[in-house]
Amino acid sequence: MAEEPESALQLPPSSTTDGEGPTEVSPETATPEPPSSAAVSPGTEEPAGDTKKKIDVLLKAVGDTPIMKTKKWAVERTRTIQGLIDFIKKFLKLVASEQLFIYVNQSFAPSPDQEVGTLYECFGSDGKLVLHYCKSQAWG
Amino acid sequence: MEEDEFFGEKTFQHCCAEFIRHSQQIGDGWEWRTLKDSSEGYMCKTHFQIKPETLMSHSGASACVQTCLPIEEALELPLDDSEVTETTTGSQVIKYEYHVLYSCSYQVPVLYFRASFLDGRPLALKDIWERIHECYKTRLLQEPWDTITQQEHPILGQPFFVLHPCKTDEFMTPVLKNSQKINRSVNYITSWLSVVGPVVGLNLPLSYARAASEDENVHQ
Repeated sequence: MAEEPESALQLPPSSTTDGEGPTEVSPETATPEPPSSAAVSPGTEEPAGDTKKKIDVLLKAVGDTPIMKTKKWAVERTRTIQGLIDFIKKFLKLVASEQLFIYVNQSFAPSPDQEVGTLYECFGSDGKLVLHYCKSQAWG
Repeated sequence: MEEDEFFGEKTFQHCCAEFIRHSQQIGDGWEWRTLKDSSEGYMCKTHFQIKPETLMSHSGASACVQTCLPIEEALELPLDDSEVTETTTGSQVIKYEYHVLYSCSYQVPVLYFRASFLDGRPLALKDIWERIHECYKTRLLQEPWDTITQQEHPILGQPFFVLHPCKTDEFMTPVLKNSQKINRSVNYITSWLSVVGPVVGLNLPLSYARAASEDENVHQ
């Protein structure tokens, strides 16, 4: 990605060096209360330093799932699906018993270790990756 | 998904057939087995996995690279040889079998699975749990008996672990409703397995997602 799109918010970095939450890029977006912990993913999958290029991710709700006020996010290539799930769950303030699923093509759930960068290469179009998310009480 | 309001056995078999068709294209190893003198059948796959304790991040990374493209070789051995040698002390190969059957009572597919070491020793429920992805562990530990139980395989009559189907409808319904809304068909089996599979170590290659939407698609 050569430039950050104007309306995309930065997904909070998973490293613990930045505890400030999302950087507000778009003036028209009232930044909702960021999750109390900025470390939204375990960070074990992040390689040192080489995560410059971010992916534009557009998050869309499915079913009765609450819609996120901010839908566009700039996400590091190496962010995993599980990291994204954790982030959205905190963002939407879901309770522990609620599950959140993320789908590509509105129907396929990538496995939790799948990286956003790879998903973008396979399913991205028009410079962004559209992901649908859906909450559920349980799976099984 | 057809006009049926419920997921009947015919739809189950049709979706499995489509799924297996793609599996054959990419060498993913799924097969259909029929019960003798019956129209009943199920889908199954065997794969081998190195005991993943310290290797989760590696297996995740290599899986990412491989799953994007349809390839000849199945993800039978997700780790390459170099990673095997690094972990020879205490590493073990586990054989997993996954069976997808239709449940008439719940009218949904059900995932049966079992695992054993190469010498034939079966893994106990406790061993299975240790190998479940971290992100599911909390949930499972809270309600283990609701989610994974040991039951007799309806067709083979042997003990298998089962991922309980009672909540399947709940997470599948929004996906199916959404697909109707956007007028795009969804392969129930592909969607369902993509959600439940990773819980028990079964990760579907990403090409299944494209295959499912190739049949009847609305331009995005």
